[in-house]
Amino acid sequence: MALDRRQFMKQAAVSSALAAAGAVFPGISFGDWNKLTNNSGIVSWQKSPCRFCGTGCGILVGVSGGRAVAVKGDPNCSVNKGLCCMKGYHSVQSLYAKDRLTKAKVRKNGQMVEVPIQEALDLVASKLKQTIESHGKDSVAIYGSGQWTIPDGYVASKLFKGCLGTNNVEANARLCMASAVTGFMTTFGIDEPMGCYEDMDHANVFITWGNNMAEMHPVLFSRMIANRKRRSNVRIIDFATRFTRTSQAADMSILFKPQTDLAVANAICYEIIRNDWVNWNFVNEHVSFHKGKTNIGYGTEDHFAFQDKGENISFAEYKQFLEDYTPEKVEKISGVPAKDIKYLAALYGDPSQKVTSFWCMGMNQHTRGTWINNLVYNIHLLVGKISTPGNSPFSLTGQPSACGTVREVGTLTHKLPHGVVMNEHDREMAARIWDVPVTNIDPKPTYHTVEMFRALDRGDIRFIWIQVTNPMVTMPNLRRYRNGAQKDDRFVVVSDVYPTPTTDVADVILPAAMWIEQEGLFGNSERRTQHFAQIVDPPGDAMSDTWQIIEVARRLGFDKQFPWSEENYIEKIWEEYRLFHAGPKHEMAPYKVLRERSGVQWPFVNGKETRWRFNPKHDPACTNGKDFDFYGKKDNRAWIWARPYEPAAESPDDEYNFWLNTGRVIEHWHTGSMTRRIPVLHNAVPSAYVELNPEDAAELGVVNGEMVRIISRRGQIIIPAQINGRGVPPRGMVFVPFFDESYLVNEVTLDAFCPISKQPDYKKCAVRLEKV
Amino acid sequence: MPIFSYLAIPREGARETLCAQLSGLDHCQVIPADNQDVVVLVTDTPDEACEKRLQKRLKGLGSLQSLSLAFGYDEKKEQGGQ
Amino acid sequence: MKFSIGNGMSSLSIAILGLFGLLSLFTGVCRATDVPDNFDNQGGKIYNAHQLTTEAGLTADSGGRNLADYYGLRQYPGSPPRIPHEVDPAFGGGENDCLSCHGKGGFSAEFGRFAPVTPHPENTLCYQCHAQTTTTKLFVETEWKSVRSPRLGLSSLASSPPPVPHSLQLRENCIACHTGPGAVTEIRVSHASRGDCRQCHATVVQGAPLLEFDRK
Repeated sequence: MALDRRQFMKQAAVSSALAAAGAVFPGISFGDWNKLTNNSGIVSWQKSPCRFCGTGCGILVGVSGGRAVAVKGDPNCSVNKGLCCMKGYHSVQSLYAKDRLTKAKVRKNGQMVEVPIQEALDLVASKLKQTIESHGKDSVAIYGSGQWTIPDGYVASKLFKGCLGTNNVEANARLCMASAVTGFMTTFGIDEPMGCYEDMDHANVFITWGNNMAEMHPVLFSRMIANRKRRSNVRIIDFATRFTRTSQAADMSILFKPQTDLAVANAICYEIIRNDWVNWNFVNEHVSFHKGKTNIGYGTEDHFAFQDKGENISFAEYKQFLEDYTPEKVEKISGVPAKDIKYLAALYGDPSQKVTSFWCMGMNQHTRGTWINNLVYNIHLLVGKISTPGNSPFSLTGQPSACGTVREVGTLTHKLPHGVVMNEHDREMAARIWDVPVTNIDPKPTYHTVEMFRALDRGDIRFIWIQVTNPMVTMPNLRRYRNGAQKDDRFVVVSDVYPTPTTDVADVILPAAMWIEQEGLFGNSERRTQHFAQIVDPPGDAMSDTWQIIEVARRLGFDKQFPWSEENYIEKIWEEYRLFHAGPKHEMAPYKVLRERSGVQWPFVNGKETRWRFNPKHDPACTNGKDFDFYGKKDNRAWIWARPYEPAAESPDDEYNFWLNTGRVIEHWHTGSMTRRIPVLHNAVPSAYVELNPEDAAELGVVNGEMVRIISRRGQIIIPAQINGRGVPPRGMVFVPFFDESYLVNEVTLDAFCPISKQPDYKKCAVRLEKV
Repeated sequence: MPIFSYLAIPREGARETLCAQLSGLDHCQVIPADNQDVVVLVTDTPDEACEKRLQKRLKGLGSLQSLSLAFGYDEKKEQGGQ
Repeated sequence: MKFSIGNGMSSLSIAILGLFGLLSLFTGVCRATDVPDNFDNQGGKIYNAHQLTTEAGLTADSGGRNLADYYGLRQYPGSPPRIPHEVDPAFGGGENDCLSCHGKGGFSAEFGRFAPVTPHPENTLCYQCHAQTTTTKLFVETEWKSVRSPRLGLSSLASSPPPVPHSLQLRENCIACHTGPGAVTEIRVSHASRGDCRQCHATVVQGAPLLEFDRK
């Protein structure tokens, strides 16, 4: 009490002095931030994409005296047109926290000891070599993320798949958008959205599927509500499992029980057919019908394997399949009133409405993630609302280069920069461009992310190099994977910018250059490639992730494959990588063009960007002479899939009677290792919490801020309650943001995944609650 | 155990020196103005002896032109008064 | 407890004299490099705001909100300020949420002062950029530094109107911040009823070297 009072007095002393100064010197000002000394005050502005979410906002970084000092939205960037979100505006502050990693560290006798970075790289190379010699090539792995720049991911794939010959290349994006990829591949045969953000300026109806865009993609969301304000005929429908800021802003909020989006999507299709809102011209010309396996499992056991098998079906069979999904039947499963299902169907079915659907983690982090992606495409395909301005099923991404690096470069176990390892022609192409023997490239995929960390636990993998991500916070069923990483004969290399729970388990820590401390390229959600120059110097020994990999590759004798110099390696890598995508379906812009513009959309053909794919008015790859060409599939059609509703891997029961849902908040990005070091953002949301429904809270006897124990079959955390905050879950559900390493909610979550995409479901598992 | 705040005016051209010198003293918090040669100084000393020593050192600073009190608070006096 | 605000103020007179020397030190007056291309077309905002703001709103007293408060909420010149008060969690980006006070301003009984007016009310999703403050502790100490805030009174001549020293991006509407009872004391203009700000005040953003006129 005395201390508080004293602090108050001191604050009063400061205020009085400031007020006195203001009275005597009109116009005097005292800033909040520390001022650069000996500084000219001259600020130069350089373009970069924002480093946080997958939106890909263009920003201008203000530089003075060699430091980033300010941010503005880039008015020339069509993504955000000069407006950022709070993370973007303060993004450059993430470079300057006091505990930045600037020196390499190596574990010696259990202690992390600083060493020169070259010595650490020697150790990484020799460990890599030794491990392969004694345990085989598939005992080493690299794990990156959608925060990898395109060159980072490209050299990682080239070294591991091309030179070392292992397909042990995975990325955090597996946890983030693998279901979006398999959704695209199964429906269209080619990855990434057909539309672009400009759809928002044309659509009349926006439906957000389990997607709290107001917090997760705020710049896109505000463009949506600006459109609603400007044009009187715009409606936003939020279809979600919990009431969020997006629900607050929407014209209508529809809540469904977790996992039952599958049933509701089918019911919408049922209604569209029953009312004959089907666009028959479109369907007859451009759509074919298919079914796959059912009862496909959840992958919670080691060595789980699944291969889907598609079968052609007729429209009549598809219609028959939908008979189980009348709105009335689905109301019982989903809790969504039949009239709301009919309303949604009518919006999709009304030929005068242009409809854009948005989704992100709600549909992707789903044990039937591929299916629900298919089902939403089904709706758009039945009514032909696709690939035209405003009609867009739009899958958003969460990381700045999930599309650019993971999906396009293909840093997943089965992928190559063009095609897949299973395909002989794709392997030959990669071997040719990479200048390696084709026999180097293993035709068999190895481990997807969850299985990769299981393999590390089992000992099948002995060496793992983790770059730009934080799996010791993000892996579901975390405790198993942390224990695995800490086992004695596992060697963990971590390249990062700050200490994290992942660097805590490292044997070598390599200090990385961050974002604008290196040259690089990202690729955002709408097929836009974005170049950024090195704007400031990296601190201490910090080195770009690309260059770290090149250094190690050379130590392993692959000088021929990694011949570039530090002056222009990014340009050279980009031009080599571009060879993989030559041709009108995926042509990438040349380096020079990317340098000049704030992002270029691919396919970039004859100097022109492609805004709507599969539509011959916009897409030069369309060659069939019709009004659309879905050239990704061999039958030149988009595929509608009959996919049933199947329950979640783990649902609440008598013992564990709550759903646990996890996610993000607007202030923090991913695991918070950067945003928590930004004063404004940390001060806004300094710690994680559990959102409770007010009635559940009352029953439990918990008020705001009291501690609650969340217990699952895998682990437990104790965390403060938040009641009637920005999000309100329905009764029987709790929500916890995962950014906070002090409350590792992933020790509670379940490592069940979609058997097709292998992406885990972070949105659904069963827990019980106790008041602490 | 007093808390005082002052407006400190540096001698001409000695602003940076003054800031550095003041920051170097114990119990002192320094807030320089952005656009004027004025520095807000807040002192928070644990006891009378400390306060006297600090006052003496402030008077000895060559870079300081004048110091004017803006706020004062003394816990001891307050307690005594109750 | 004893407050003695303003004690010993007389000794400041010497310092005030010293200040005049400072004026000559102001440098960096320069050409704008980051003014939106179309800013000259956005002037309608000024006229409209002038038309819509009441006479009282253009002239009444601001109640002490000063530049120190103003920059105290920011991380660098032009950063979106934090929200210095609690926010109803039900606020979801509707036009009747934050903008009910900050859209046009006016006296807030709750805070006992006039609300500052946003220069960009067309953006309604306020929490997209403006963060609340629920703690003042940091996660990790930061070594963040930025440039000084733009100085006031950058007039080229003793009596000439000072130029606009900041970027106009998201701040095209001068009336919002420089007039009315919610405005910051130091930057509230006494002659707002004239309306056409850029008749006299040129946009000269600090941040690039002064370009000398060079005849080719």
